[in-house]
Amino acid sequence: MKSAPNNPADSLDGKQQIQLRLEVVRCLAIAIFLILGARLYWLQIKNYEYYQERADQNRYRTLPVSARRGRIFDRNGKLLADSRYAYNILLERKLGKREITPDQFPALIDLLTQHLNIERPWLTGRLEDAMTKPRWQSIVVKEGASASDVAWVKAHQFEYPEFRAEQAPQRYYPFGSLAAHALGYVGEVSKDDLSRQGGQYSAEKGFDYGNIVGKAGLEKSYNEALMGRDGYRRVLVDSKGVIQEVVDQTEPIPGRDVYTTLDLDLQKIAEVQGDSMPAGRGAIGVMDPNNGEIMAFVSRPAYDPNVFSQRSKTPEGKGAIAEYWQDENKPLYNRMIQGGFVPGSTWKLMTTVAALNEGVITPENSKIQDGNIQLGNYLMHSMSHEGFPDVVRAITVSSDGYYYRLGLKMGEERFAKWVEIFRFGHRTGIDIPNESSGLQPTAATKQKTYEAISKKDRQAAEEAPTPEAKKKLIAKAEATLKDAKWTDYDMAASAFGQGMNKSTPLQLMRYVGGLSNGGKMFTPHFLLRINAGTDREDKIHPEMRFEEKNSFIVPMSAAIQDIVKRGMYGAVNSGGGTGGGARIEGFDVCGKTGTAQVASNQRAGSKSKDHAWFMSFAPRDKPEICSVVLTENAGFGGKQSAPRARAIYDFYYRRKISPPADTQAQLTNKTP
Amino acid sequence: MFAPSPRFLRDFDWLSFFLIVGLMIFGVVEIRSAQPNLPGLWRKQVVAIGLGLVIMFLVTKIDYNRIFSITPYLYGFGLFLLVLVLTPGIGKKINGNQNWIQIGPIGGQPSELAKIFTLLMLVRYLSLVRERPLKLKTIAMAGAIWAVPTALVYLEHDTGSTLSFFSFFVALLFVCGLQWRWIFTGLATLMLVGYLSIPYIKAGTSYKMERIKAVYWPELAAKRYRYQNEQSTIAVGSGGSYGKGIGSGTQGPLGFVPEVHSDFIFAIAGEESGFTGSILALSAYLILIWRLIQTAQQSRDREGSLMVTGYTSLLLYHISISVGMVLGLLPIMGIPLPLMSHGGSSILATLFALGLCLSVRLRRFVN
Repeated sequence: MKSAPNNPADSLDGKQQIQLRLEVVRCLAIAIFLILGARLYWLQIKNYEYYQERADQNRYRTLPVSARRGRIFDRNGKLLADSRYAYNILLERKLGKREITPDQFPALIDLLTQHLNIERPWLTGRLEDAMTKPRWQSIVVKEGASASDVAWVKAHQFEYPEFRAEQAPQRYYPFGSLAAHALGYVGEVSKDDLSRQGGQYSAEKGFDYGNIVGKAGLEKSYNEALMGRDGYRRVLVDSKGVIQEVVDQTEPIPGRDVYTTLDLDLQKIAEVQGDSMPAGRGAIGVMDPNNGEIMAFVSRPAYDPNVFSQRSKTPEGKGAIAEYWQDENKPLYNRMIQGGFVPGSTWKLMTTVAALNEGVITPENSKIQDGNIQLGNYLMHSMSHEGFPDVVRAITVSSDGYYYRLGLKMGEERFAKWVEIFRFGHRTGIDIPNESSGLQPTAATKQKTYEAISKKDRQAAEEAPTPEAKKKLIAKAEATLKDAKWTDYDMAASAFGQGMNKSTPLQLMRYVGGLSNGGKMFTPHFLLRINAGTDREDKIHPEMRFEEKNSFIVPMSAAIQDIVKRGMYGAVNSGGGTGGGARIEGFDVCGKTGTAQVASNQRAGSKSKDHAWFMSFAPRDKPEICSVVLTENAGFGGKQSAPRARAIYDFYYRRKISPPADTQAQLTNKTP
Repeated sequence: MFAPSPRFLRDFDWLSFFLIVGLMIFGVVEIRSAQPNLPGLWRKQVVAIGLGLVIMFLVTKIDYNRIFSITPYLYGFGLFLLVLVLTPGIGKKINGNQNWIQIGPIGGQPSELAKIFTLLMLVRYLSLVRERPLKLKTIAMAGAIWAVPTALVYLEHDTGSTLSFFSFFVALLFVCGLQWRWIFTGLATLMLVGYLSIPYIKAGTSYKMERIKAVYWPELAAKRYRYQNEQSTIAVGSGGSYGKGIGSGTQGPLGFVPEVHSDFIFAIAGEESGFTGSILALSAYLILIWRLIQTAQQSRDREGSLMVTGYTSLLLYHISISVGMVLGLLPIMGIPLPLMSHGGSSILATLFALGLCLSVRLRRFVN
């Protein structure tokens, strides 16, 4: 061993130095292990709960499971609307360290449009919308995915674990367009719906993107009952988001089943009658006059609600929906409740009941002159020239001249009072949305209408380009205002149903029901009962039935009732009656035809023809069914609409008197 | 030759042996938990351990002084392997590091072996140097021996391994009597350079900078770099006091922690065995290191002393970096945890080196 005397380290030999310096290494090792131990304590003891939670967030994911919508049945428990299971393709926004951000949209959209046949603009909108939502919500990128779509997603699970195919219930209407305007349709809740304060489907009521809600008809009015409570699946996922196992599961609770008053077999007959309407437009309603239960409900043209629930995201489905909106015959328009039509001669019963109640005529003395009448410089034609018929005869032959004069005798004030008593111009309160109220053919309506027109002209005058034009418009406005005065012509026209009158077929159905049963007006409705069950917020509800709130009584003495029935019975069953086409041996049908003159009479083509009405009930003495048939642009009511009512009554009557087995056989014959 | 003599049985370091075997068993169990779908991994590990133990016993039986006679060849062989790994077609890139060599069915990480051979070469040189304090020439010579393999490893883009070469080099110079003023100058320089580079690190966008930022300035780091650190701390933290139970870990088997069977093995160990298990494992390592330091101090000669010192520092470096990285204290570097991480090369190299250390202890009594 060498040593250098000048160096202090020399006092130690090499071995001692190594030993000493190794002590330093030992201290360093202890220090390092102490730091590691302290860190372990910090992670595992101090902050255990935090990390525990983070670990759970990592591996558990809660996936909602859509509840099946409640079914809709007819009154006999026959299925009208059901749900089928279809696949949706979902996109998980956040998967481990991967997160979908807007800069990935182009690539994502390219991928999806290429492989899953999704429309580019729709998908772009969907992804942009989703960015405003919480990150844990998956995005539905395709609904009603085909088998090949699902296969693609499953085959690429490891490549694109962010995509998932999930089964979801989808609304299915087994009979397509049958009773479509009553049932309505469903669709995904829209952005507008969600943001509308206090709206039916607002976000504050707990609705959210992806919810399927009723958009029209019964689907909309009983949406709360039909929607079930969604369940969820808590799943274990790996870092790629691939589901490993289901940890916990809460089954969804299906929505409550709704039983309607519709009668499927009768509805099918009515549908056939609707299909044969010459212009393809019209409406048929069949009701029980004793309680307002609607048994059949047809509006033409119709639509297939399956298009909305199953194909609304596919290009061809979108095309079909666009066509529905653009079709000039408006298939989505519910003529039964939204169409305001001139009621024509069906109105004469209203005038009759009013006049008898007011004593203008009496059951004993009701003879009034028929025929044309000269009012000022206008000659009002009457098709009938019966001399001096009594009121029963006037109804039977639908004598216009009789009613011109009856109206003039009664006067506007008393007439208007009875229009109000019959609640024309008011909604019936039917349990489907968007009912229109119609218009009362009264002085007040005329005044209001003309004032509105006059006001419009005045406003136009303010913005007129030249003083001359302005003068012209003001003069026009003043003239309109002068014309607003109620005239004899208005009175005569209103009395026989051709005035400034708009009634919905539904209003006429309630009206004929009331006429049949002595003035008891029930609210026409579809709801029979809603089964007991759970709503979407997990609250339990007992069975519910329709609650009659709007029924009212039109005073009709036995004598008046007798006149109405004799007149309407005669119209169908006696010689010269206008509604002979509805006659059925053994089933005393009472009815009234009506022909609504179409304002555009001069125009050529199918639209120039008048609308044909037929309202009726049967049997005469103990009515159990009533109906209204409107065949648009078809001509005379007795010819076009009465036979359609007859077909319905015929089926109803035969089913009633023959054993059920026969009914079945007949049914299968009639519906291919 | 294989039959152990009574003296071997008496003087053999059974405590270290059981710690080593215990840690390796724990490792195998956790490898199995980490990748339940890849049973090949833990089976391969068992084979490597079996082979490694045989090598360890053989090496223990041989007088370590005889190793030094062939050390230059071993060193040369190590350099050859490091060159080979950089040769396109033979060397393979794994996780961005060009550190894998595959010849036929046999593959491995040459850097694991090269570390040991370089260490032996340094010990061989430094044990002959008797002057104190160390002369600059000596340091330069040692530096040259060390720098060649280190540079080659650096070319593999393997930061963790490169730094591991520093650990034993510095430790050997330190125990050989590097002057304190040099040590302090070195430490001060290191701190100054570290301090001055902070703004560059913060602004840097290379993956190395991002990995540093992910630990010390996570808000500045790109999300995907934070992810690994976050997930491994979640794994360990969610283990709690007693762990989720062996085979019940979630962070590892579900793939949230990457490389959980190799570099991040301590994450699943912490998750499944909790604070109790983690502290036990760390204690085992600490006792082993303690014992090795003792061995270095009791060695009969300078060669043995330096060799054990060098290896101890390498072991300490590996443990602190690997565990520190898992616990979110240090940036992520591809460094296996000796004895526990999956990897044949690491196991074989570790057991070979521990065999040398045990050999030193066995021969601590000078006849």
